Amino acid sequence: MRAGGGIFAATLFTPITVLYLSFLLAPIGFFLVMSVFRYSPMELYIPAVTADNFVRLLGEEHYRNIIFRTLRIAALTAFFSLLLGYPLAYFLARTGSIWRGVLMFLVIAPLMTGVIVRTYGWIVLLGSEGTVNVTLMWLGLIDRPIKILETEVAVLVALVHILMPYMVFPLFSSLAGQDPDVERAAATLGAGRWRIFFEVTLPLSRAGILMGSALVFTLTAGAVVTPALLGGTKVQMLGQTIYDLVLSTLNWPFASAIAFVLVLCQFSIIFLYFKGGRRRAG
Amino acid sequence: MSAVLELRRVLKRFGETLGVGPVDFEVQEGEFLTLLGPSGCGKTTTLHIVAGLLHPDEGTVTLGGRDITRLDPQHRDMGLVFQNYALFPHKTVFDNVAFGLRMRKVAQSKIRDRVSRMLEVVGLPGVEARQPHQLSGGQRQRVALARALVIEPSLLLLDEPLSNLDAVLRKRMRHELREIQQRLGIATVFVTHDQDEAFEMSDRVILMNVGHIEQVATPEELYNSPTSRFAAEFIGEVNLIDGTVASLIGDSAVVEAALGGRYAARGDGGALGVGDKVLLMVRPERIGIETSPSANGEAVEATVANRVFSGNTLIFTLRTASGIELTASKPSTAQYRDIAPQSTVWLDLGDCRLLPRET
Amino acid sequence: MPDSNKTVPSAMHLKASSAAARYGMGFLITAIYAFLLAPVLIIVFTSFNPTNANTFPPTGFSLRWYGTFLETSGFTDAFRFSMWLGAIAAVGATVIGFLSAYAIVRFLGRRREAGQSLALLPVMIPHILISISLLLALTIVPFPELGGLIVGHIIICLPFTIAGITASLEGVDEQLELAAMTLGASRLRTLWEVVIPLIAPGLLSALIFAFIVSFGDVYIALFLSGPGRTTLPIEIFSYMQWESTPVVAAITTVQILMIVALGLVVERLVGLRKIMRV
Repeated sequence: MRAGGGIFAATLFTPITVLYLSFLLAPIGFFLVMSVFRYSPMELYIPAVTADNFVRLLGEEHYRNIIFRTLRIAALTAFFSLLLGYPLAYFLARTGSIWRGVLMFLVIAPLMTGVIVRTYGWIVLLGSEGTVNVTLMWLGLIDRPIKILETEVAVLVALVHILMPYMVFPLFSSLAGQDPDVERAAATLGAGRWRIFFEVTLPLSRAGILMGSALVFTLTAGAVVTPALLGGTKVQMLGQTIYDLVLSTLNWPFASAIAFVLVLCQFSIIFLYFKGGRRRAG
Repeated sequence: MSAVLELRRVLKRFGETLGVGPVDFEVQEGEFLTLLGPSGCGKTTTLHIVAGLLHPDEGTVTLGGRDITRLDPQHRDMGLVFQNYALFPHKTVFDNVAFGLRMRKVAQSKIRDRVSRMLEVVGLPGVEARQPHQLSGGQRQRVALARALVIEPSLLLLDEPLSNLDAVLRKRMRHELREIQQRLGIATVFVTHDQDEAFEMSDRVILMNVGHIEQVATPEELYNSPTSRFAAEFIGEVNLIDGTVASLIGDSAVVEAALGGRYAARGDGGALGVGDKVLLMVRPERIGIETSPSANGEAVEATVANRVFSGNTLIFTLRTASGIELTASKPSTAQYRDIAPQSTVWLDLGDCRLLPRET
Repeated sequence: MPDSNKTVPSAMHLKASSAAARYGMGFLITAIYAFLLAPVLIIVFTSFNPTNANTFPPTGFSLRWYGTFLETSGFTDAFRFSMWLGAIAAVGATVIGFLSAYAIVRFLGRRREAGQSLALLPVMIPHILISISLLLALTIVPFPELGGLIVGHIIICLPFTIAGITASLEGVDEQLELAAMTLGASRLRTLWEVVIPLIAPGLLSALIFAFIVSFGDVYIALFLSGPGRTTLPIEIFSYMQWESTPVVAAITTVQILMIVALGLVVERLVGLRKIMRV
């Protein structure tokens, strides 16, 4: 550290530290602590420690289903995002096209329009008079519109679309960061195109795969708006349940228990990510 | 003459490793002092401590008698020229040079005057409106110098300012820099790893090695009378011969050398006793080469193992009967051109210097 | 001769297979882009639909839904509020982000990676959790809900401003700052005279990007908006839960155009990739 920088550096860090501590970490900590408190319809909570919220969450089939559905959709979203994101990231990392900047922009641009805009786009596409149904009928594959909205498929498709960029960025970083000579070396040693990909490129992009999957998984697990609009009441997920509990029944302690499960999922994913990352480094 | 800057027992650690120190030296009024040493010797760290960019862990720094050890750089009265010049790329030459004056709240009219005068001093009049990227390396260097000098600092600090210039320009700038310094009479601390620069420009040189001062001396003293093996080897070419002290006469000693024979050697003999192991140092150009044995028979017989022609000098590799190789350099005049490889010659080691043998 | 006969077909085969692979790859990439852009493009088309349904292909061309948008005070008010909130959040996140990024780059040394990760914390926490916790805090601590909304938006924008400004600061030679200080500039003066002018494009990009993030947010506003402080995405969200007409398409088209224009400015200035840390 440069001379006399201590006080100055501390001053610079003060706003963000105050902001994160008092408006991010402290409220979240308090909210999560509420999960062990008792619910009262009259007050915010009754500060009596109880396991009731967790017992109910894990005991009632309705909530168990929501947890499993959330985990299933999150895992599938991460999987399909990887399946579509990998070729895209690979292409962007390797192409010499002068359009590369534009193509990169086209991946980022939808992200910037926000969740609502893109969810709405899928409503138009997947509705009973939507583009998909109209096209299928025109092709003669179906006689009358099939129901796509309010199914898990609709939620999944939209979530993959909305969150895929988060998969592409880390993948792109790890692919673009690879020394092209490594692939060339493999080629001179007689490895074929697929061989090179599976033995060199793919293993070297492992960090990006892990990072992207972890990011997409956790973002899906916390999704509210997309499942609510595309899944309706049929495809309830954890985030939406928290939202309903807080805004309609004001059951903060139970909402907190659900949030606790959500955070637990997230931490196990991050833990797996770091474990996977370390294994790679070691 | 009095000291402008004084460093006393200054020490700086970086984590667990010692950066520099303890270091003691002072800069006299109007003096051009050079910190010379290999990279990593702590010379730049020392300069940054002087400038206030680093605060030392121990010791004191005084400027004009005032303790400035903990003073921030903006309150020190020093002009620093950086290795890469560090000109503000978004400001014109004028705004670059005027920066320090504006920080000192000098009146606008005076700023204009002082900037143009200083640009004249550094030999770049009329470039005020240019952008730094429109200047050549040498011009940027002059602007950086003007920027450091215009605030009329009590001390000028130069951090390897010539190392980014091409060889021809570097040589010319040495003389110009020295000339400007003498004209303004400003005390200067100059950091370099180049001994030619140090010798040509300095009044005194501080030779540094792994964080401590090896020797403080004028260039001539440093060359002729190094006090350590490091100093002898870092500056110029040198022959080092093992020997044992045979007798002591004042500061000089007679040394029984490994190549046979006894040689008188100047040096700090005070700390030595008869029988101590020492090194004899002799510069290549100080070795006399004769084609016939001298009358008194003190010369060492040797064979010319190799002879390299490098323009104005001839470099001889000479092997003595005891198997020790010495290097000698001689002007490439007829007298020495005729000495053929494999011929036998007699060497005069009259100008020997005594060095302690490090264990 | 037999040898050369052998090699020719195999070389041709290789060429054919690599061409097939190239076309296959090209098709795949095109399909992925179609998937990425279709929902956005479909909105633009739908917004010009003259009928009262979210259909595609459109049955004609009309600007009636843009008229409806402008006549619906709920939407225009929300649009205006989102602009206002985005501007405040962007300034807040850029100022705090600059201070933090500068401290991270210049003062953390070897702990820099850790500092950067901590600063990016809000991207790693589900936004619904940030929002709900803020709401809870506001029910206990007397703090205006509008303040909570602004603070929430600043928090979710900070990771992006910090990432972008950090990247810009890496291009500034520290010696310039040291030079300014030896010439008598205080640390604050050095920031103002040297650092800020040099990273001005980066700061402007951070400002715009933060605005975009704030403008597109639903999660923070989900719990913290209320009468007189409803953001556009929330207004659309509540509207869509009951009915769905192409007026939403018209509004979102306006939003898309604005955001794409702003995004292009950022791309011009520093490149979006820097802010997305890729």
